[in-house]
Amino acid sequence: MDKLFVIAVGGTGMRCLEAFTHLCAIGMFDSKEIELLTLDTDQANGNKGRVEKLIQLYNRIKSGGTPNANTFFSSKLNLYRFYTNYSGQGRENYKNISKLNSGSTEQQKRNQLISDLFLDNESVQEFDLSHGYRAQTHLGSMLMYHGIIEAARNIVRGTDVKVQERELDEFVTKLELAGQDARVFIFGSIFGGTGASSIPIIPKALQDFIRIRSKGAASIDFSKAKFGSTLLTEYFTFKKPNDKQKASKENSVIADASYFPLNSQAALQFYQSDPTVQRCYKMLYHIGWPVESKPVDTGSSQTVTGGATQENTSHITELLAACAAYDFFTRTNGLDVDKTEYVYKAVDFNNNAFSFSIHDFVGNGNKAGERFANKIGAFFSLAHISLTVNNAANGDAGIKGFITRCQEQKITQYNTITDAECVEINDYFKAFAYTFESARFTPGWLYQVRSTVAPGTFIFDSKAFPDSLSELKKLDVGTIFLDEKNHWPKGGILANRYDTFIKKLINLGPEEEQQVNTTKEKFLAHIYNAITHSQGFHLI
Amino acid sequence: MESITAYTVSVIITLVILFIAAIIANLIKFEGGSKPKDPKIRKLWFWILCLVNPVLIFLLGFFVFMPDGNVRVVKNYIAALSIGTVAGFFLYILLGFILSRLFTNGKLGHWF
Repeated sequence: MDKLFVIAVGGTGMRCLEAFTHLCAIGMFDSKEIELLTLDTDQANGNKGRVEKLIQLYNRIKSGGTPNANTFFSSKLNLYRFYTNYSGQGRENYKNISKLNSGSTEQQKRNQLISDLFLDNESVQEFDLSHGYRAQTHLGSMLMYHGIIEAARNIVRGTDVKVQERELDEFVTKLELAGQDARVFIFGSIFGGTGASSIPIIPKALQDFIRIRSKGAASIDFSKAKFGSTLLTEYFTFKKPNDKQKASKENSVIADASYFPLNSQAALQFYQSDPTVQRCYKMLYHIGWPVESKPVDTGSSQTVTGGATQENTSHITELLAACAAYDFFTRTNGLDVDKTEYVYKAVDFNNNAFSFSIHDFVGNGNKAGERFANKIGAFFSLAHISLTVNNAANGDAGIKGFITRCQEQKITQYNTITDAECVEINDYFKAFAYTFESARFTPGWLYQVRSTVAPGTFIFDSKAFPDSLSELKKLDVGTIFLDEKNHWPKGGILANRYDTFIKKLINLGPEEEQQVNTTKEKFLAHIYNAITHSQGFHLI
Repeated sequence: MESITAYTVSVIITLVILFIAAIIANLIKFEGGSKPKDPKIRKLWFWILCLVNPVLIFLLGFFVFMPDGNVRVVKNYIAALSIGTVAGFFLYILLGFILSRLFTNGKLGHWF
């Protein structure tokens, strides 16, 4: 069985990883242990912080557990974090980090000349690198490669090895051990800075990392290693930086969203013609948003260059990127190619809106679309039961209500699940669906994704996304799907859908083939079975 | 003979009331929320019908099934009816308890 590795680079890469983590939570990667690496220049990036918190929450929910099948949180995730350090003295910008002013006068002169040939002297060589590469991909590729190689050299030297370098070392060790069984998928955009800079060089940088660390004894064979990535073109925009903001040297270069389409085109041409990219990557998934992009920084007066404030909302293209990773990890053919294969598909576009069906995410072979809808629908229903019916969104018991219900029905095997563990599951659902913060509605990941498609269709009925307390109270959690045949059964004239669902919950339980071990895993598998039976997808 | 009638009335009414209690328990829907009230409502209905049962046995036995006959026959019937009423009360609880244990994970499980 192939070993799975995911590398998320830059702000967009982090949001794709967020979508990927949610796919793991809904149970799309059964019986898998997945190694995740976040790779950024911007240690404090809001999107990076958000996804790392989410994965840590996932792991707390999964604590002590193992990979399972046909249940929620079915895969085991191992998170590693690496960031290039641009915060110390002498590391703030290109000029300092490349030590242009060291060596003899003649060397300094030559260094400066070669730098000036590729990088603008006044701006590109002097902007603050701690907020990423700001769409300067030529600089970014060099510095990201340098960052990874520097980490390998520090590890070989064995002195002053940073925490992030050790984490990168652990990740690469697992990758090296997996050998030709490794499948590596890289998330990042090709229109911005850090992701666009890194995607072309990561396979080569990891190969050289292994070579340096092993002192030439080991390497990655690109004819056997399976690398895949997304070609994610522009899908959001933000405010154009004004002259006032660009006045300081550290902000002299700020990514300008109006150039994103041009950046995307240039990157696509480069990827098509670059022999290293063509040799390293087996699959590239072409994902884009061929209509007007929505702004992500409506509340800010300046262009957000990075840092904790860069916490953009989620978009359906990121879910599609995560689905591309699913395709790459689950495909049984097409990976023994010598040159990159491109994968793409189109979605219906009518009345100025996209219409996504269940078959537009993971395909429709072997009922994959139905399986995806079944799992995401079950998770969304459970999120609504926890947040809406059991009112966790407003601080009430949430998932604990299910344990109370089981106790009422004399199903006592889940009594050992603690209140703190229930709060963690509730918190995950808040990140997934929605919550209320100081009585204000805050959309979670799925609500944000759906809002990027509205008024187009998206698997679920629009009524499944209420955003006011009064509307939420009216929600019937058994009717979230667009297709009525997947609504929970009514159960007769005097019953209702929730009643028949609880009857199913009572009569079912976790099954042996789900390979669940801990009490929490059994509990989640039990609920998964009750909801998926209620949804009535025919998966065989 | 009149004793048998009284006891039969008690048993039949007890069984009918128990059946009604089971129907009511099943008609009460499972509620969502962190503190669902449905278990308590089922239990409440069970005990209300537990009190209704002896009253109904006695009233129906007295006004509907009272045999025509001499004072001794009536006295014997009343005595049997009284015993049947008390027995019906306990029989209801006993059968309710057994049913509650048989369907311990279902709605009837809320009776005990």
